[in-house]
Amino acid sequence: MRNKSWLLMFFPMGILFLGIGTLILKKNLIGNSEFLPWVAAVVVSAFCLQVFLQRKRNLLAIWIFPLVIYFSSIGLVMIARLKPELFIPQLRWLLIGMAVFLLVVKYADRLQEFLSYQYILGLCCLILLCSPFLFGTEIGGSRNWIVFGPFQMQPSEFGKIFIVLFLAAYLSEHKNVLTLPSKRFVFLYLPPLRFIAPLLCIWGIAILMFVLQKDLGSALLFFGIAVFMTYMATGSRSYVFLALAFFIIGAVVSYFLFGHVRVRFAVWLNPWADPNGQAYQVVQSLFAFGTGGIWGTGFAHGHPFFIPEVHTDFIFSAIAEEFGLVGSMTIILAYFIFFYLGIRIAMNCKRDIHILLAAGCATIFFLQSFIIIAGVTKFLPMTGITLPFISYGGSSMVSSFILAGFLVALSKKENTGG
Amino acid sequence: MLTTAFFVKLLSVVLQYGILFLLLYFVYLLLKFMRQDISGMDNTVHRDTSLKEAVITIAEAEDKSMEGRRFAFTDALSIGRGDENDITLNDTYVSHHHAVITLVNNLYVIEDLHSVNHTYVNGQILEGSAYLQTGDLIRIGLVTFRFER
Repeated sequence: MRNKSWLLMFFPMGILFLGIGTLILKKNLIGNSEFLPWVAAVVVSAFCLQVFLQRKRNLLAIWIFPLVIYFSSIGLVMIARLKPELFIPQLRWLLIGMAVFLLVVKYADRLQEFLSYQYILGLCCLILLCSPFLFGTEIGGSRNWIVFGPFQMQPSEFGKIFIVLFLAAYLSEHKNVLTLPSKRFVFLYLPPLRFIAPLLCIWGIAILMFVLQKDLGSALLFFGIAVFMTYMATGSRSYVFLALAFFIIGAVVSYFLFGHVRVRFAVWLNPWADPNGQAYQVVQSLFAFGTGGIWGTGFAHGHPFFIPEVHTDFIFSAIAEEFGLVGSMTIILAYFIFFYLGIRIAMNCKRDIHILLAAGCATIFFLQSFIIIAGVTKFLPMTGITLPFISYGGSSMVSSFILAGFLVALSKKENTGG
Repeated sequence: MLTTAFFVKLLSVVLQYGILFLLLYFVYLLLKFMRQDISGMDNTVHRDTSLKEAVITIAEAEDKSMEGRRFAFTDALSIGRGDENDITLNDTYVSHHHAVITLVNNLYVIEDLHSVNHTYVNGQILEGSAYLQTGDLIRIGLVTFRFER
């Protein structure tokens, strides 16, 4: 079966071609064929990369890349349909992403040396996360962008790479101290403060991000990844309870102190109170889900343009409208498979730090897709983060490819190194 | 004219269902391939923990009956006066959580947990943590351990 893995690459490419064909028939992409060389470049490089990975005889990794391209191709056709002017930039970002992916896989051994400098990694993460406080720009309601002339980036997208690296390095070295029996507080066993200080620091930053940058999605993501990875490293439930307590206190305090938190919460509880005002986005997203039904309205035959920001945060609503329950469940299933593969890779690793790193990468994809899908379906309060590989966005694309590159590199390492 | 419009419509419908079909069939095929791949893999994956095993032996103690006792461990070992430690030393010079030995990058590291009377490695006060090598002598309170791998 391994030799046939390149067959899987025909499916994402098929989705891409059929999607473009539908749009041409619908005359949405009329008048410019500039995107054709870009599409050809993406197709060729995707096939080459898969053949390269297959030749290396990686164990599980050969299934990762077809999935990544599958998500990307769905994203591409949706962006071509929703915002044709962003189609070429997204193709370009995909190419850059694949190049970065290849670099990460090839030079993984050298990148591994960075893991020894855990506190520098932590510091990088802090700097990246705090930089928008100082010179951030507000785009689309969240103050989490940095603009350098024509180039914009979202530092929190890269911060998540550093946080996974930092947590893996930190926890694998200190997990024994963290699990050491010590002070008992009610029913929680807590280690000395200096060992949990970095964790408290991450949680504090997450809450600050929410309050100052109004960026609930990233805040939840960072908070969640810290909790998950600590639990995976130590196996101690005390940390989960501690984190929950911390979260509840933070949530209650910010609810009473800040207006925008109250607004978010009210919109989540009852969007029908103000469907044309503050809850407009969520309500339109729910309408899109309803319109889609089971089989969807058909690609390019829905009306997703009522939803603001439909090409980034709300892309899942558009997918649900046009591909229906069947299509959206398939994509959720594909994210599950991706997570499963990541965890399998982690279980096959031998060193603690590699196990944590692989599990952390898998968890971050899982959490991110969960948070945004839960947000657009109103399962959780609406949050603004991207759906990995599908949403439009350069920072998100590149950072997701770097994390996927880590997963592939880790599975290779254990296979050949023994 | 009518027929072209009809065929365009037909083609567009076929393409739309085609996308949905590809979406589903990809996941089906991936699961099928993966199942065969992983079921073949599970039989070969096993772990070897014997390489990680380390032993510490009591080389010297006030209570002569304790001398020569061996403690084999992998991953981690804690030493102190508290009952929850892996090795409990009932000795007033020993702190509640005195020291811990852990596996870091395939080497064992001893760390002093800010004990009052210090941990001595080969006669020197241990500041923070240090790598252990075979034959190192660790003194905690009145007990001396020898570390071996």
